[in-house]
Amino acid sequence: MTFAYQEGTRALEGIDFRVESGEFVAMLASNGSGKTTLIKVLVGLLKPQHGKVHIEGEDIRNLSWKDLYQKVGLVLQNPVDQLFAPTVEEDVAYGPRNLGLVESEVQARVTEALEWVAAADLRFRATHHLSFGEQKRVCVAGVLAMRPSILILDEPTAGLDPAGEALMMRLLNRLNREQGMTVILATHSVDLLPLFADRMYVLRQGKVLKEGPADEIFCDHEMIDHACLRLPYVADLLHTMKQYDGVMINGLPLTVGEARLRLLELIPEEMIVKRPGVHPE
Amino acid sequence: MFEVFSDIFACRENALSRVDPRPKLIIALSLILTVIVSQGVLLPAGVAAVCVGTMLALRVPPRLVLLRLSPPLGIVVVLVVLKAFLTPGRRLVLLTLFGYDFNATVEGITQGLLLGSRVLGAVSVVLLLSTVTPAYKVFAGLRWFRVPEVWVEIAFLVYRYVFVLLEQASDVQAAQRVRLGYSSIGRSLSSMGILAGTVMAQSMEQALRTHEAMMIRGYQGRYPFGPLPAMKTIDQALAVVAPCLVAAAYLLAEWWPR
Repeated sequence: MTFAYQEGTRALEGIDFRVESGEFVAMLASNGSGKTTLIKVLVGLLKPQHGKVHIEGEDIRNLSWKDLYQKVGLVLQNPVDQLFAPTVEEDVAYGPRNLGLVESEVQARVTEALEWVAAADLRFRATHHLSFGEQKRVCVAGVLAMRPSILILDEPTAGLDPAGEALMMRLLNRLNREQGMTVILATHSVDLLPLFADRMYVLRQGKVLKEGPADEIFCDHEMIDHACLRLPYVADLLHTMKQYDGVMINGLPLTVGEARLRLLELIPEEMIVKRPGVHPE
Repeated sequence: MFEVFSDIFACRENALSRVDPRPKLIIALSLILTVIVSQGVLLPAGVAAVCVGTMLALRVPPRLVLLRLSPPLGIVVVLVVLKAFLTPGRRLVLLTLFGYDFNATVEGITQGLLLGSRVLGAVSVVLLLSTVTPAYKVFAGLRWFRVPEVWVEIAFLVYRYVFVLLEQASDVQAAQRVRLGYSSIGRSLSSMGILAGTVMAQSMEQALRTHEAMMIRGYQGRYPFGPLPAMKTIDQALAVVAPCLVAAAYLLAEWWPR
């Protein structure tokens, strides 16, 4: 598909974006690469000049708003944009009520959604009294309450502290692995993605530079540089050691766990002190 | 500067906040009506004193109570002065300015104090109501009184986003301040103009983004309010008894032999 804004900016060019049911796909892109525009096109907020969007085999132009947003949920980057009710309960109930559900079903969905995001204790809090991390989780709950089969998130970890980031990614991973929800994540935060994403699309200036699993993406250093991205820190360290210090590491580990295993291969066994009962997470 | 708008006290647990908002609205309305029609200073002043005392008892900082009362207090001062000097009657004070005589009369001051006490009494009731009832509960109560839902919807959204805009305004002001934007009167006026324009532009952008977010969650043009909870018996009793007590206090104050 192709999309250009009215003033002429060509935000998307020749994009071919495909996600299988139940996949966890990441859109990696630096600022201004078109990922937010692509997201808005995917959920029908913007109409491409060329191309179509199909969800579960149906052209979204043939779907009513109600049908579309029961299939696909969108969590925006800024929680302020989508927390528009005075309390958490009211906000999470907003979507189910718009679906015309009976109040008992609405309340059940609110309870379920808040439990999913570990925010049940925030139910009766005013939305403007929430911390940033709490707001982000409540935003996800508000979309989960509509029970979409596809969840799209725009920079869900932006602005979160490391613990919040890990909590958010684990939540998305659980939704994907346990609920079978298709997750599409737009981000430029690369460190946690290799743990969770099945595939990645790298965008730059409205075009797809590369698509594939994490190890294929991060092995292409030239493409990563061109896309104004970086390797995960652990991969960057080991790549530097390989390139400048001649350390013979197999492949390019992308996660701490993988890096640990590769380094253990290089360390003489007599130098390793095994501690019984102590295991990394 | 923006703490005057804080609603943190309304979200605290206390005996008054646990009462259903509907009887609280009925009581507030009856108190305001009583204060407005009162012919003596005693009742409105008494209502104001009780309301302010209650807020202090609920541990609202006295500075904040004074801050919230300062606009009506200003109005009261202006009322008293205007009434004192513009109402004919027995002269109390003579003021000569630029060759002109200005008489402050006993009747004028009395009328001014009466009007002022009504203003303070009514405002104190509203302030106490806002201290013990979060605004969204007040709006929910208004639905029960058959206020048009579109008004309540707008009030809901205004309540939600006024805090967002206040925070943005606070951030912009802080950014201006560290760049000496308020180092002189002239610069202050200029900076305040920029602040107002920035907040206005941001609020319009926020409205567009919020509308998109509402559409994504199925907004069809009407806010989907949930059902109102049933009133407890004690709240129903309060809604009936309290206005009667207010009426009795009014009659006592008005017809008490002087």
